[in-house]
Amino acid sequence: MSFQIKLDMFEGPLDLLLHLIREHQVDILDIPIASITEAYLRSLAVMQELDLDVAGEYLLMAATLIHIKSKMLLPPEESAEGEAGEEEDPRAELVSRLLEYKKFKEAAQTLGLLESEAQLLHRRGAPAIDLEVEGPLQVTMVELLRAFRDILTRAETAAPLEITPEELNVGQRIVMLVDRLALESPLEFGRLFSDSPRRVEIIVTFLALLELLRRGLASARQVEALAPIMIYRTLEHEESTGSPEDSPARGESVGAAGMPEASPA
Amino acid sequence: MDGEPDRLGILEALLFVAEEPLPLGKLQEILEDADALQTEASLRDLALRLEGEGRGLMVQEVAGGFRLATRPETHAFVQKLQQVKPARLSRAALETLAIIAYRQPITRSEIEAIRGVAVDGVMRTLLERELIRMMGRKAEAGRPMLYGTSTQFLEHFGMKDLGDLPTLREINELIRAPEEEAAGAVGPEQSDEGPADAPEPAREAGRTTEAEPDEPPASSHN
Repeated sequence: MSFQIKLDMFEGPLDLLLHLIREHQVDILDIPIASITEAYLRSLAVMQELDLDVAGEYLLMAATLIHIKSKMLLPPEESAEGEAGEEEDPRAELVSRLLEYKKFKEAAQTLGLLESEAQLLHRRGAPAIDLEVEGPLQVTMVELLRAFRDILTRAETAAPLEITPEELNVGQRIVMLVDRLALESPLEFGRLFSDSPRRVEIIVTFLALLELLRRGLASARQVEALAPIMIYRTLEHEESTGSPEDSPARGESVGAAGMPEASPA
Repeated sequence: MDGEPDRLGILEALLFVAEEPLPLGKLQEILEDADALQTEASLRDLALRLEGEGRGLMVQEVAGGFRLATRPETHAFVQKLQQVKPARLSRAALETLAIIAYRQPITRSEIEAIRGVAVDGVMRTLLERELIRMMGRKAEAGRPMLYGTSTQFLEHFGMKDLGDLPTLREINELIRAPEEEAAGAVGPEQSDEGPADAPEPAREAGRTTEAEPDEPPASSHN
C-alpha cells in the first residue's frame, strides 16, 4: 500500500499526528510512539526538502516525539530525577494536547457547516461584495505550499529531462517578479511558473515569491479556500483597501499595533 | 393594505429597512402599543404569514435580533444576481474561531498552544473581517490582548447568541471516536465521496444494509 502524504491538508503538527493515528488505526490513549514517530518523520521529509519556516512547528513536534520515545526506552527509576512516586506516562501530555485539539477541530467542522447554511440566506445590502473582488482571505502558507506542490508535480511529469542549469539565483528572480507584478498585478499563482517548466526554476521562483511575501512587497489572496490564489503587488492593494497593517512586522502582535491600552468599546 | 397598516405590516417594514438585526426591545419601542410578548408573537405571525404565502423572504432570528432574509430555496437565483460567491472561511480560520468562541476571552498564545501553530495571520484576517474583537488585556506578565467573538460572528454563522454554539464533544466521547472513524474508513459503504471528514456523533454504528444499494446513506447535503 502506497503511503501518500499530503502535508498541505494539515493545519499543523497536531493535525498531522491525528491523521497518522487514525490512518494507522491505533488507540489515541496508547500511541505506539516508535511507529508513529517514524511515520511522522517520513511525512516531514517532504516538507524539509524546501527548508521552509513553516516546518518549524513540525520540527518541534518531531523533537517532542523523539524525546518521548527515548523516555519510554529508559527504565522508570532513571527517568525520574529524584522524584519518587508513580511514574507518569511520558505520552500523557501529548495525548491531552491531541484530545484538546481534536475537540476544536471537530467544532470547527461544525462551524463550517453552520457557515454554509447561513450563506444560503441573503439580506439587503450585504456589504461583503467589494471585499470579494480583492480576495478577502490571506492565503496561508499551507495553501501556498499545496499550490506549489501541484505545480511541481505537473512539472515533473511534463519535463523529465533536466538540462544543465545556468546560473539561477533568487535575487534575480525577485527582481523579475517585481517587474512582472508591476505590469500585471493580480497575477494568478500558477501563471508565475508558466514559462519555467523545470523543477529548479520553479523552486527558485517560489522562493522568490516567498521572499516578496515575507517583505510585504506582495500579498497572496484568494476568494475562498481552494479558489485560485492571486498574487497582488502590495502597493496597489494598500491603496485600494487603505489598510496600513498589511505588511506584517514579524512577531508584532496585532493587538499592540492599533490600540495601546484601549478599553474595549 | 388600505388605511392603517397592521402590526405585522409595520414590523415587516421595519425589518426591511434595518441594516442590522433589530432587537426585540427596539421593535417594541417603535410599535409603542405592544409589550415584548405581543411583539414577539407578532413576529412569529409575520414569519408564518410569509411562509404561508410562499414568499421569498423570511424572518430570521440572528445575532440578538430579527431581520428579513431571503429563503434558502431562492439561494441559487440570488447568487446569479450577486455573481460573487460569498467567501468561506479557511480551515485555519474556522479552527481559530472555534477556539476563541468556546474559550473567550482568550489570548493569542493560548490559542497557539491549542492549535500547535502560529496564528498571527489568521487572527489578522479575523479581525479585519470583524469576526473577533479585542476584549481588553489579561492581567499577567506582558498584559496580552484578550479576544472574543463579535456580533458579526453570530451573524456569519446564523446564530442567535453564543448559546447556539454546538456543544463541544467531551473528552470521553472523543476517546471512543477514533475507533468509529477508523471503522468507517475501511467500511464497505465508503464508495460515495461525501464529507467523510466530519464525524457524525449520531451515526449509527453497524447499520450496514446490503439489500438496498440505491439508497445513499443519509447525510447532510451541502
